[in-house]
Amino acid sequence: MSREDRYAELAVRVGANVQPGQLVDVLARVEHAPVARAVAREAYKAGASYVDVYYSDQHIRRALIEGAKDEMLSWTPPWLLKRSVQVGDERAAVIALTGDAEPDLLADLPGERVGRARMLELAEESNRQVNEQLNNWTVIGVPNAGWAQQMFGEPDLERLWQAVEFTVRLNEDDPVAAWRAHVTRIGKRASALNDLQVDEIHFRGPGTDLRVGLLPESRWQGCESLTAAGIPYVANMPTEEVFTTPDMRRAEGYVRSTRPLALYGRIVKGLEVRFEGGRIVDVKADEGADVVQGQLTTDDTAAHLGEVALVDGTSRIGQTGLTFFDTLFDENTTCHVAYGGAYAEAVEGGVIEGVNVSNVHTDFMVGGPEVDVDAVTRSGTVVPLLRDDVWQLGE
Amino acid sequence: MAVELDTGVGLTEKAKDRLERYAELAVRVGANVEEGQNVFIVSQIEHAPLARALTRAAYAAGARYVDVNYRDQHVRKAMIELGPDEALTYTPDWLKERAESLDGAAMIATTGDPEPELLGDLDGERVGKAQMKEVTEIMRRHMTARAVNWSGVAYPNAGWANEMFGEPDVERLWEAVAFCTRLDEPDPVAAWREHMARLEKRAATLNELRFDALHYRGPGTDFTVGLLSKARWMSALFHTANGREYVPNMPTEEIFTTPDRRRAEGTIASSLPLALLGDIVKGLKLTVKDGKIVDVEAEHGAELIRSQIGRDEGASYFGELALVDGTSRVGKTGITFFDTLYDENATCHIAYGFGIPETFEGEPGEGMNISSVHTDFMVGRPELEVDGLTTDGKAVPIIRDETWQLPE
Repeated sequence: MSREDRYAELAVRVGANVQPGQLVDVLARVEHAPVARAVAREAYKAGASYVDVYYSDQHIRRALIEGAKDEMLSWTPPWLLKRSVQVGDERAAVIALTGDAEPDLLADLPGERVGRARMLELAEESNRQVNEQLNNWTVIGVPNAGWAQQMFGEPDLERLWQAVEFTVRLNEDDPVAAWRAHVTRIGKRASALNDLQVDEIHFRGPGTDLRVGLLPESRWQGCESLTAAGIPYVANMPTEEVFTTPDMRRAEGYVRSTRPLALYGRIVKGLEVRFEGGRIVDVKADEGADVVQGQLTTDDTAAHLGEVALVDGTSRIGQTGLTFFDTLFDENTTCHVAYGGAYAEAVEGGVIEGVNVSNVHTDFMVGGPEVDVDAVTRSGTVVPLLRDDVWQLGE
Repeated sequence: MAVELDTGVGLTEKAKDRLERYAELAVRVGANVEEGQNVFIVSQIEHAPLARALTRAAYAAGARYVDVNYRDQHVRKAMIELGPDEALTYTPDWLKERAESLDGAAMIATTGDPEPELLGDLDGERVGKAQMKEVTEIMRRHMTARAVNWSGVAYPNAGWANEMFGEPDVERLWEAVAFCTRLDEPDPVAAWREHMARLEKRAATLNELRFDALHYRGPGTDFTVGLLSKARWMSALFHTANGREYVPNMPTEEIFTTPDRRRAEGTIASSLPLALLGDIVKGLKLTVKDGKIVDVEAEHGAELIRSQIGRDEGASYFGELALVDGTSRVGKTGITFFDTLYDENATCHIAYGFGIPETFEGEPGEGMNISSVHTDFMVGRPELEVDGLTTDGKAVPIIRDETWQLPE
């Protein structure tokens, strides 16, 4: 088996957990073809009724941003909306591929137009599907020369493949068994946090003093999710986090991002954000603040939080010591929060008051060895969760 | 196997400029994109550099929105090889909706197979069956209503060059493509205008002569096929129902008409290999009775043809006759391109399957063939003689030794 085939098999069997007779939706960039093709083969082997691979292309998006009229930037072609609706209606399995082949492609375009160039109706539809837990889905990263270039300063594709294989446990003799053990370990963390009845998470470090309030209904989640129909799946490969949905009305203080953030073809560096009453009221950055600001105006709630996630130093992504410039990987390096829409599955009762609904969801990294993380329980006790990147609760 | 995708990153400035000019020609002369139109591009992923250039050129021409639908033969192969039977003819709803949305839009399809023999080792019957019939049906409706201004252009790529030359000499292929599409002229747009005027004149001459039938004679070929009084000869200078002019094929060297599906007799030997559904058909021989193909033989790929002509009732009847002479730029290259867009313009060809609605002014049942299939195959060669037969049985030479015999 080629490495593409092994990777695809893992994404199909463990990640999306494709069921016999299921429609399978694959979302890829043209540069991901070698893995997209392998995914199609493995999905049919797993009994897929049909595999629909949709290739997108950043150059086409660039041409849109440069050449189309303003009102077309956020337009959703009805056929693409229909595609998404069918994926929901038929409870399809979804496998999305990431790994930007030309990370700087949009760098010279006006950030405000780049930030607005998103298919809004399509985003709403896929948010709805995620919230209603219709699909078993996964996201994997596809090594490519451009991505390797960005990470290493040279197109060392082999090195990137090895890093990715390490983080997704493909270097293990039995990757499926390794994932099972991993899912169990992180699942225990989620249980422990749920038992604590956390009311607030407190991040404290250089440039950071942020308190994020949780809902009484917030539930911590590990690697594995369930569809409404009960199909288990691992939504991100790799994944190292325990996460939950915060109360969108409660976030106070300031936070300094500890890692660069790849966003819409731009790199945001040195991001600093200030919250008041749950809302982002100030955005600063060494680079790319305009993309974040553009994104925050997408809708009324984009500037509120939708996720808080905890990752410790045992993270395989963290252990590589690399910055991947890809959220799928970098968010699993260390603790992060996301502004924008929340995951309803991490709330008892789904989309209740205080759960953010927005068309954006952007994770940015706030953790690291210098950042202490505490839980404040509903009874007011302060419980250390992370010190020097080490998980403080028993395992 | 990891396939290194050509992303056009390493192109020289000269090559980039050629690509942009080529895309502009396809957008301005080919599809002739109108300001405010939606533009639909269909490409193999290996054609990404051209699809991107076409998108830029379309926005520059005032396109409202450009949608690129990338296809991947490897994904198709996975379906044919590993998918259930029902997958072969399944059409996702969104592709039907996309096809419907083409009404009133512009479309550009790119050709140039990067792996022409990819599907060659698969079960020919499954390959032949793998078709989204509902999409074909919708597209046929648009074509009949002349609702789309569209064009097909090829993208030179390594796999295609390798098939042609035995080595992946993409630059040589680019030069051939640039020559055939008149991109080598100082003013390609003017060169195209002149070229189309000449072809239009040939069509007008044939329309005045009102032949009743054509007779093809050559090695392995003795074929008589009836013409329709309600079908005219045309060049590929088309107009939509709204009067938008466009050139559906670049290159194009042919004049063509729709024959009478009821009148065709004899034998036909194809003169060039035919790239079809991921395989190459070689040495094709057809026997025709009462308009219908009754026997198919080939050195390679006969099964593929048999499966295709069995797809529906009209598939085994004829839909197109096209005449090309030795002035064809495609023919002048002396190259077999293994791509219908090119090879059909090298020399005379015939198609079984769907007729050409643009040529036909009659009613259903008056002789134009209807089918979900339209496959061109080449019959022209130096030895081929083509005559026009008048209603009183007189034979008038049209082509001898690849030279046009009627006044120009």
